[in-house]
Amino acid sequence: MNLLPFVLYAAATVVYAIHFAKRQPSIGRAATTLLLLGVLAHTFVIGMQTMEVRHVPFSNTSTAVSSFVWLLALSYLYLEVTTDERAMGVFIAPILVGLQAIPVIYPGVDYRDPVLDSPWFWVHVTSLLFAYATFALAAMLGLTYVLQFKEIKKKHLGYFYTRLPSLHVLDAMNSRAVAVGWLFLTIGVVVGIVWAAQALALSPNNSNLQAMSLQDPKVFIAVLTWAVYSFAMFARKTLGWTGRRAAWLSALGFVIVLLNLLPVSYFVTTSHTFQ
Amino acid sequence: MQVILLGVSHRTAPVELRERLDFSSRDLGAAVQALALRPSAAESVVLSTCNRSEIYVVSHDLLRAREEITSFLSEYHELPESAFTPHLFSHDNEAAARHLFRVAAGLDSVVVGEPQILGQVKDAFQAASEHHRTGPMLSKLFHWSFLVGKRVRAETALGEGAVSISFAAVALARKIFGQLNGRRVLVVGAGEISTLTAQHLRSNGVGEIVVTSRTAAHADTLAASVNGRSIAWEELAHGVASADIVVTATGSQRPIITRAHVESVTGRHRRDPLFIIDVAVPRDVEASVVDIEQVFLYNVDDLQSIVQENLSRRSSEVARAEAIVSEELAKFAAWLRSRGAVPTIVALRERFDRIRRAELSRLDGKLAGLPPDARVRVDEVTRLIVEKLLLEPTEQLKALPDEETQVAYTEAINRLFRLRDSESPSSADDTAAEIRRTDRRGK
Repeated sequence: MNLLPFVLYAAATVVYAIHFAKRQPSIGRAATTLLLLGVLAHTFVIGMQTMEVRHVPFSNTSTAVSSFVWLLALSYLYLEVTTDERAMGVFIAPILVGLQAIPVIYPGVDYRDPVLDSPWFWVHVTSLLFAYATFALAAMLGLTYVLQFKEIKKKHLGYFYTRLPSLHVLDAMNSRAVAVGWLFLTIGVVVGIVWAAQALALSPNNSNLQAMSLQDPKVFIAVLTWAVYSFAMFARKTLGWTGRRAAWLSALGFVIVLLNLLPVSYFVTTSHTFQ
Repeated sequence: MQVILLGVSHRTAPVELRERLDFSSRDLGAAVQALALRPSAAESVVLSTCNRSEIYVVSHDLLRAREEITSFLSEYHELPESAFTPHLFSHDNEAAARHLFRVAAGLDSVVVGEPQILGQVKDAFQAASEHHRTGPMLSKLFHWSFLVGKRVRAETALGEGAVSISFAAVALARKIFGQLNGRRVLVVGAGEISTLTAQHLRSNGVGEIVVTSRTAAHADTLAASVNGRSIAWEELAHGVASADIVVTATGSQRPIITRAHVESVTGRHRRDPLFIIDVAVPRDVEASVVDIEQVFLYNVDDLQSIVQENLSRRSSEVARAEAIVSEELAKFAAWLRSRGAVPTIVALRERFDRIRRAELSRLDGKLAGLPPDARVRVDEVTRLIVEKLLLEPTEQLKALPDEETQVAYTEAINRLFRLRDSESPSSADDTAAEIRRTDRRGK
């Protein structure tokens, strides 16, 4: 079922790439349409899964990744519609395709431990996935900033110079994406801590809940992520770390996010591995 | 009705002659009104820029129209015809349309793809239409040319990239800062390029322009011309500290802005970028200034090479733009052909209607007994029959694929329905000829 959105995202990626190269408005609109269709199909898939398992499906990694992809596509579409700027599509769409391949290959049954049966779970996961989606946007904005910065600084005005928005716009969008992501990351983490404490009081013998601590890799990396983005915001405000430094920081942050989302979830058994 | 174009452009005439034949400094409306006095010009538009003076006329009689436009140019500009006729170029119908489409697309400009020309074509049409000198033909032709201009700008990179040093500098500034609103500019030294750059920056909406020069009077003059303010030469360091964009153009033999200098005033972590445009030779700014993280430094050679690159990129887009012109021209030509069928269609309709009326009046006696509303209905029904009979042939005639077929078809119809015998051969032409005869006698 995850295949249809995957195919549509892949088609959108190709058309975004053609649009980036040729810069024809009609091709750009076609790319947006394909992405929109992908998001609609994806919404349908997630909706069906929700009805099937009777809760929003992000208890296991594959479904969580799928939801992350959906949120990223939505956030990107929002950015595109509000700024009327399509050049970023060629950088975002491949992430959608790459990550959506995971639920396509390992569909995974969305089993849910009864301990997760709480509205807090929903808030916790949605906030974090949304935060990660905006961090992905920030990282891509940062990457394009660096590419274009180099071209202008070295006076080789080439491929990216003619296609990307101005440095100022990229930096401003990066700053906003980091701020929004940080806010949701904070909400997600705080809700997680409060809810874990409550749940532990209710079911003191749950091994997952007992393992919730800073030594746990999943928790540790989440806190590290929070630290990196907090520093990025602090440095921008007080140390004047704008532009290239801010861009690198948001890229670093997203690498850590991806680390937590994929290898840690799949290969390391943590407090968050509910089985 | 045919379109004829007569004119001079940078391709056919030297600048001295183009100046003499220029309309742009005078009122374009006055020119089209003067043209209106020439009987062969049913519709007319005068297009005049510093690189071209072109007259588009719709006429029944191409030869006469050409003569009259030439004599109009001579009288209006008080020049003997022999002074400019060797430099005149002329196109008819499709060729005229192709020329106008290429002009509107910026393909015929000195700097290929320059943006002003489309606006100038629109102004020319506007002036003519305000004086009611445009009819169905030129309206269609000019609106079509606006479409071609827009398509070429939207679908090709013909007009992209700055092609002068000062525009290249402004384009870079926009790529760094986005909107230039509120940005502060410091101009150091008053030269030609720095003045032009400051003016372009001003028209792009920068917040403040501060000028300084070793000679205070020069700074004051430049500041006044770009609506900025001047500061004393000693305040240069302070000026750099508070600027977003610095333009330098002094005659100094040694760098006046050094790395240490910039670092000391901006600090190690500058929040916003600093864009330095050094158009002085020898250079005013130490090359190592670029090592400071947020500083972008471009000298006159850097800008010149951008201009060169943009020019070559534009020329590589010419073929795509020409393809758009050809595509639209084919559509326009089809429309022109459909117009060519109009006189035949009109004549055919008149003929059918005459027969209808004749038959009705022949039957007048027999129909007299009918009540009035029944008679109205008879009239209505016969009219509808004629319309329905003619509907399909009309559509077919308008859609004929080429001129040759069209001539053959109209000829056949003329003969089959004896269209020419039954009418005087275009009364309008007769009147026009009559007017011309009196006109000649008057001179």
